[in-house]
Amino acid sequence: MSQRQETPSSPPLKLAGVTFGFGRREAAVQSPVLKNVSLTIAAGEVLGILGPNGSGKSTLLKILMRILAPQLGTVEWFGQPHDAFSQSGISRRVAFVPQETQQAFPFTISEMVLMGRYPHHTRTWGLGWESPQDRAVAMRAMDDLGVSHLGTRLITNVSGGERQRAVIARALAQEPEVLLLDEPTAFLDLHHQLEIARIIRRLNRERGLTVVLVSHDLNLASQYCDRLLLLREGEIVTVGTPQDVIAGESLERVYGCPVLVDQHPQSGRPRVTLPV
Amino acid sequence: MPVPTFLSRPDLPPLPEKAQPVQAVATLSPIKWLGVSGGLGTLAFLTFAACLGFGTEAISFPRVAALLAQGPFAEGAMQNAPHYIILWQVRVPRVLLAFMVGGSLAAVGASLQALLRNPLADPYVIGISSGAALGAAVAVLFGIGLSVLGLSILPFYAFLGALLALLIVYRIAVSYGSFSIHTLLLGGVVLNAIFSALILFLTTLADPYKASGMYAWLMGSLTGPDFATVLVLAVYLLLGVAVLVSQASALNLLTLGEEAARSLGVEVERVKRVLFAASALLTGSVVAFSGLIGFVGLIVPHAVRLVFGADHRLLLIASGMVGGIFLMLADTLARTLLSPTEIPVGVVTALAGGPVFLYLLVRQRRRIVA
Repeated sequence: MSQRQETPSSPPLKLAGVTFGFGRREAAVQSPVLKNVSLTIAAGEVLGILGPNGSGKSTLLKILMRILAPQLGTVEWFGQPHDAFSQSGISRRVAFVPQETQQAFPFTISEMVLMGRYPHHTRTWGLGWESPQDRAVAMRAMDDLGVSHLGTRLITNVSGGERQRAVIARALAQEPEVLLLDEPTAFLDLHHQLEIARIIRRLNRERGLTVVLVSHDLNLASQYCDRLLLLREGEIVTVGTPQDVIAGESLERVYGCPVLVDQHPQSGRPRVTLPV
Repeated sequence: MPVPTFLSRPDLPPLPEKAQPVQAVATLSPIKWLGVSGGLGTLAFLTFAACLGFGTEAISFPRVAALLAQGPFAEGAMQNAPHYIILWQVRVPRVLLAFMVGGSLAAVGASLQALLRNPLADPYVIGISSGAALGAAVAVLFGIGLSVLGLSILPFYAFLGALLALLIVYRIAVSYGSFSIHTLLLGGVVLNAIFSALILFLTTLADPYKASGMYAWLMGSLTGPDFATVLVLAVYLLLGVAVLVSQASALNLLTLGEEAARSLGVEVERVKRVLFAASALLTGSVVAFSGLIGFVGLIVPHAVRLVFGADHRLLLIASGMVGGIFLMLADTLARTLLSPTEIPVGVVTALAGGPVFLYLLVRQRRRIVA
């Protein structure tokens, strides 16, 4: 265990000089997916990670969750080096919603959400029956995401939007302080995109949940994030408010195509459209 | 430990005191678990008793019950009664072996399916069993240290073969994204072909007497076990199944994929090592004693999932029981259908399971093949 103490001001997540690549160490450092990324995520913020395909967005998120380990640099959770945490120790405080939530096994939605209680079970052997408290927390997470009425349905038989809400409910059942989401609105239609975005913002505002999300949707990110981070080829181009980041020339440089930026008629946040 | 965010907020609605009805219906409870395992256990015992009556020499059920009640160590006249000898020395070990082999294959199938994220995985179809068979064939044909401390070393070689095959299959599955059944099946076909070729090659090196025994064993057979063999096997199999069951919650999470499982607190690498070892132990011991018996590990967990749900805490136990029942019945069929000739039980399970497998492959193509 580390000697450093967690203080109330410790940022939930902090990366310093992180370089990551796939494959052997030498090759990974020579052609990395992420290059020298330093980033501090403050408690209670919604941070959006943007960038073109292959810019390292999902990789960055997976490093934040310790699914991938960087070759160089340090990752800190709540002011402590990340290897000071056990796997379930971190899963009680940081939850991850993967991009691919396709399921081939017929679990019910209720069972799916209860899986979020796994890190709270201290024994890793045995049948691990859920306590009444586990069930109550899972039930509330289902209420929060509006999937309680789907409790008996099979995850293999619900729509993409319902499945995504169930998976976010599972993440909430972990009772995390930080929620990491990989493209939470990909593959969803407009209605469900808006619904998921609103739920995420509500959880942030009402519960103080820190949120980091990867998105392809510049406009959704601009609307719902406090801060944005723009990645290109594994390097941070800019970090700042949507007004700072969603600016014509930096987007054109990163995405390599002309864009029009104006203001959203309701929120005044920057809005991106493509020229004809 | 700081108080979790959600519990510390005073403005949230209070946690409900009792489980909601929707949860009670839709999730596994200890009561349901006990009920189902107890019920299936009883059914397995009744099937066991029923199967004892069938054979070249039919024994009526009241007589079976009476002879069973005598116990295995009867004294005096009973000891030499033909029915007593048939029952205790031939049929009890054999039906017991069928139960254990079937149960283990079904439990291994269920855990491989979770590990490979594929509901159609089966130790026979994807080549794990032939890996074990190759290991056992090497041991038999080269006669490597056939027993150590009175225990046959055969299962150990079969274990190594199964482990090798499992590691290759897993490597194939992850490198292509484990959802594709095609990749897994193709990998299995090729592995099966390679291992079979090696076994045939080894067999041609052996003397003809050994070789013909080899062929019979490869087709899957539960013929002529003695009590000692069955007891030794029981130790291996109970150990393997207990390890799988101990990892049931982690198996549930592994069906979500390795990354999601890790993010939910599963120590994926450790759990995988444990599961690989237990699956290879079960497959290896089963193959060493009874050869290649296919499709039990596929159709049994599939049917059990449809009826009792996907939670591995119940799925493994229930599959074990149902797999045992299935193979006891299949073996009874195999030894009575053309009596006094025996059909290899692997033939029966392949003829029963193969078509089911094809049906599932066609019907579920959209859901499983990504």
